Amino acid sequence: MVASVFLNVNGRRHEVVASPATPLLNILRNDLGLNGPKFGCGLGACGACTVLLDGQAARSCSVRLDTAARCANIVTLEGLSADGKDPVQLAFVKAQAAQCGYCLNGMVMTLRAFLDAVPNPDERGLREALKYNFCRCGTHMEILCAAKIAAGLKPETDLT
Amino acid sequence: MKGMLQIFQQAVPAKGLSSRNNFVPREETLLEIAADGQVRGFCGHVDLGTGIATSLAQIMAEELDAEPAQVQMVLGHTDQTPDQGATIASESIQVTARPLRRAAAQARLILLQRAAELTKLRVDELDIRNGRISTADGSVDLGFSDLVSGLSVRCELDAKTPVKPVSRYRLVGQDLPRVDIPDKVTGRAVYVHDVRVPDMVHGRVIRPPYGGYDHGPFVGRTLLSVDRQSVAGMPGLLDIVVLGDFVGVVAEREEQAAAIAAALHLTWAPVALPNLSDPLEALKANPYTERVVLDRGDAQAALPELSQRLDREYFWPYQMHGSIGPSCSVAHWQEGKLKVWSGTQNPHMLQADLALLMGLEPTCVSVIRHEAAGCYGRNCADDVGGDAALLSRAVGRPVRVQLSREQEHVWEPKGAAQLVSIRGGLDEAGQPLAYDLHTSYPSNVSPLLALVLTGAVPAAVPQVAQMGDRTSVPPYAYQNARITVRDMPPMARASWFRGVSALPNSFAHDSYIDELAAAAGVDPLEYRLRYLPDERAATLLKATAAKADWQPRVTLPQPDARARVLAGRGLAYAQYVHGTFPGVPAAWAAWVADVEVDRLTGVVTVTRAVVGQDAGLMINPAGVRHQLHGNVVQSISRALKEQVTFDTEGVESREWGGYPIITFPEVPWIDSVLVNQPEQPPLGAGESTSVPSAAAIANALYAATGVRFRDAPFTPEKVKARLDEALGPLQPPVPTALAALATFGQPASPAAKQRNWKTILRAGGLAGLFAVVGGGLSSLLPWRVAIAPVPPPVPGMFSQSVIDRGAQVAAAGDCAVCHTVPGGIENAGGFGLKTPFGTIYTTNLTPDPETGLGHWSYTAFARAMREGVSRDGHHLYPAFPYTSFARINDTDMQALYAYLMSQQPVRQEVPSSRLTFPYNIRAFMAGWNTLFHSSAPFTPDLARSALWNRGAYLAEGAGHCSGCHTPRNALGAERWRSAYLAGGEAEGWNAPALSNLSVSPLPWSEQDLYAYLRTGFSPNHGPAGGPMAPVVHAMQALPDEDVQAIAHYIASFDTRQPTEPVLARRQAVLAAAATQQALDAGEGARIYNTACAACHEGEGAHLYGARPQLALNSNVWAKTPDNVVNVLLNGAPDPAHGSANTMPAYRDLLSDRQIVEVVSYLRRTMAPGEKPWPNLPERVAALRALAHP
Repeated sequence: MVASVFLNVNGRRHEVVASPATPLLNILRNDLGLNGPKFGCGLGACGACTVLLDGQAARSCSVRLDTAARCANIVTLEGLSADGKDPVQLAFVKAQAAQCGYCLNGMVMTLRAFLDAVPNPDERGLREALKYNFCRCGTHMEILCAAKIAAGLKPETDLT
Repeated sequence: MKGMLQIFQQAVPAKGLSSRNNFVPREETLLEIAADGQVRGFCGHVDLGTGIATSLAQIMAEELDAEPAQVQMVLGHTDQTPDQGATIASESIQVTARPLRRAAAQARLILLQRAAELTKLRVDELDIRNGRISTADGSVDLGFSDLVSGLSVRCELDAKTPVKPVSRYRLVGQDLPRVDIPDKVTGRAVYVHDVRVPDMVHGRVIRPPYGGYDHGPFVGRTLLSVDRQSVAGMPGLLDIVVLGDFVGVVAEREEQAAAIAAALHLTWAPVALPNLSDPLEALKANPYTERVVLDRGDAQAALPELSQRLDREYFWPYQMHGSIGPSCSVAHWQEGKLKVWSGTQNPHMLQADLALLMGLEPTCVSVIRHEAAGCYGRNCADDVGGDAALLSRAVGRPVRVQLSREQEHVWEPKGAAQLVSIRGGLDEAGQPLAYDLHTSYPSNVSPLLALVLTGAVPAAVPQVAQMGDRTSVPPYAYQNARITVRDMPPMARASWFRGVSALPNSFAHDSYIDELAAAAGVDPLEYRLRYLPDERAATLLKATAAKADWQPRVTLPQPDARARVLAGRGLAYAQYVHGTFPGVPAAWAAWVADVEVDRLTGVVTVTRAVVGQDAGLMINPAGVRHQLHGNVVQSISRALKEQVTFDTEGVESREWGGYPIITFPEVPWIDSVLVNQPEQPPLGAGESTSVPSAAAIANALYAATGVRFRDAPFTPEKVKARLDEALGPLQPPVPTALAALATFGQPASPAAKQRNWKTILRAGGLAGLFAVVGGGLSSLLPWRVAIAPVPPPVPGMFSQSVIDRGAQVAAAGDCAVCHTVPGGIENAGGFGLKTPFGTIYTTNLTPDPETGLGHWSYTAFARAMREGVSRDGHHLYPAFPYTSFARINDTDMQALYAYLMSQQPVRQEVPSSRLTFPYNIRAFMAGWNTLFHSSAPFTPDLARSALWNRGAYLAEGAGHCSGCHTPRNALGAERWRSAYLAGGEAEGWNAPALSNLSVSPLPWSEQDLYAYLRTGFSPNHGPAGGPMAPVVHAMQALPDEDVQAIAHYIASFDTRQPTEPVLARRQAVLAAAATQQALDAGEGARIYNTACAACHEGEGAHLYGARPQLALNSNVWAKTPDNVVNVLLNGAPDPAHGSANTMPAYRDLLSDRQIVEVVSYLRRTMAPGEKPWPNLPERVAALRALAHP
């Protein structure tokens, strides 16, 4: 039951041939060769696979290909900026906000969508926005620090 | 230009855990400088996200006087790096960096000598700085490439080469940014999950039913049969590989492999697993051998001398690494050689294990290490390499295997449960006279899973790993102390996990001394310092306490029994001792933890942690601080939240809901105290700070509440229960119930009047009823005449406009919903409808002459639609809703006929329906029709608007809404008169009431219904789910005005209204739920918050997709839990809404017990005031037992 579907990913139009029920994540990784979104749980719980669908943070493991095809723009970590210079990405480098970095994609993409919708959050808002993105290495402090830098807030002292 | 400088060492056999019988003498390169000046360092350890790639490069650059960026580390590649054993116990800097440092120093000397040769100067006239060789006068300026070009030097590491004194360090000791982060933040980093090899295909494994056990008589011998036919013909299938209990499938695409793995039917022998529902009792019953590792004074003799005896037990649960990415590997078997791309912690161990598995010499196996999702010990990273190897050998192509979340959760070797019991106490002076400790740690360090599943390594009798001794010796100078380690076989699959046995051992040591201090009436800091002989330890503890502004405390805690929040502070100290006993000490660590306890929920929050560490020389202080933070956060999570649960099928924690970890709102800010000791050797950092965590938190809990918690984790229900017992229960605020919805005006009645047996009774009396039910006696015809077949339709028979109209009628009637099997060809029939009277298989509606409608005339079709009689004269069952279809007018009926007859004919036989008596006698239906069926055409209700009547025509006719939403009588007829749209059943689901009997907290307005039917989602109610989702899909072909009409019509049956505006009512419903949620933190809450809330909670503008707010959903307010349970079990793989997430099926992920917990939580909090659902466990079991509804 495969079908040919067009997707706009990172500003380019791609044709993919797959079952309409295929998780978008598989298409992005296996058909388009993108490494940013990661498979974490396949259950929409951990956030490692987050991409932007028309600017909103979506868990690509739980979005069907036919659903994704209705979106005008799909953006992955690779497409956030041409040169890795999105302010959120820069903030993560500045705050050294990764240990293994497997969850990083989800953190960056979720924050990007959040800051686009809520440009001036407080720390509590940032914590709530990342509540459903899991990190196992315990990089939360550095990630929060990065989030604060990206949101224009003053980061905590223990990190600077 | 060519050139090379290399330093190597002779390999030595690995020791301890890493040792395998595969030692091959060889030269191991440690350092290489290429002609372009690039330095590469080779280390057998790997970077697990801890930043050692950065720090090792920093160390080498220091000795070489190079720029850090000039040094690139090659980590864990078996062909290139030395075998330095597993990357464990924080040894990379402390142990494995040593030869690298010396190799770099040696290379520096060689470079200087080479420069001296080239410049004709003396070595002492030359200097190296920032990777350039120069003279003081600036007359020489050479780079490494100038020196190495044309050179060919390979020399053995000289252990006598001097290394730099610390005083001359320029790089080491400075903060250095991690080398890997820029690539990780842009998606350029290639994790093992991202490895793609030409011609690569995808594999999936199917694990046996003994979930999470790798030893026992059943391991490797439980698979009875494999039904290959069950997946024959599935797209992409390449192979099914079966070896003992190892089963894997290979397919072209990843989702194809997943689908095949899910569909493959396997038969396993029943397995009786050990009972681990109570790991503490299981630990006590587990056999052991005792090993006394310390016997100082005479603890036995001192016990009777004590004036205050304190005998205590401390328990630590099974915990998991919980890597965010399930393990992944790519393997390529080619002509007797195996290449495996792996995220392993232990490349050389894995190489040996793979060689054993595949029957190869280790030299024929290459392990190429890539970064992976963080693991904190031995997870499934190695296992999946074995899986991929077996699958690649079978298909002769590179195979990528990534485990599912469930497989990683269930099969990863767990951190072992542990029991520490201490006998001891105080003498009259309050001094600790005796300390007699026993610690039990069940582990075999977990053989490679494929080895035991295939039977290559016997698993009946497990090995016993002697790993319970880490930090088993207390840091305190107890006069009489005996430490006994009980080495024992594993229970569940277990291996090393961060802190190994040291964390639980320290939990006991430092909880116990806190108890002693309290019993002695001495400040816990002062009491520790009295008995802490290690000066660096005392210095650190004092520095940490000072940073936290520790106030001496000599009185017992006096918690206010009426306060909702209790706060307290505790401290703990430990030094992590790793490796084979007596082991190697790593960094010193101390904690001061502040906690708050919410009495109503039992939730414990660490509000601040001041954590000190003395790791000697810090290579990269930023990296050390980073690791400290990570370990503190993770160990808070472990102490407060984490425990693996087990049931009769093995590991019950099969996804994150069953094993929640700490989230951003719960993380405290951490103050770190890094003691700078540059003259002291660098020690393993980070991991050591996790070791005192649990004791500090437990001691803070005691200070807050006066209650000792000696069994981790400190979960809300445990804390609440014990505090309620100790302090008396605290009453929660009484929830204010939502005002009931009032009804305004008379709800509508259907336009059509269905026949009703009471009418017949009134007309013909009982005799008449018997007559018609008896059938044979009546004048009715139990078998109607056949209508002559006609030739199949030919193209062009119907005009396109008629066909188009017919398509809309078909959409209104949702024909394809029932007449299509999932994934099958539309309208070709064969779908099994489960009814109380048996399963009815739908017919083939395509114009195939043999199996479909090909020979049906319009007359025959219209008769079937209106009278429920097939072309050949036999009666149809009213599961086919001819009782509604009779209302369809001639124009629409003809158009529908034209549409159906214009489809592509599909030859497909459908199974015959099997019903119970008397429905198995089709003739019986003649009498049934007399009683319950009227074939009268639709007549509009002239008192109603045209819009309403259009809606009535569609809803009562083609749409047959009442077929599901109206209850049926004992004979299966819809109760139109008394209970129209009052709620019915469909395919094992409740079809909710659409009338005033609806239990939805907001009324179903016309706008709500329109949004629901048009988009599949109403923000005031939720998504179309279960059997309603395909109905909405089918209705997409219906014009807007028809959907509007149906919404208008249905809404006229629900006249409930809130007293406040709908938006305010909506807010009130959500607020009432939020209030209850905030007071409920038990297991159900944790499952919901971890597994469900990411999609169901909140409506943030930045979040994609319809976000169903469950408090608004009538299913949580319903009389039965069926729909909630059904959707949990089966998920929503094809949501009706055009921008919605799919919902996963939790059938295989949550146990009945867990489903009961989360469903009860939803009912309690989302439908406050409603009674709990009765017999929920039984209902969940029953719904699970039903086939996929």
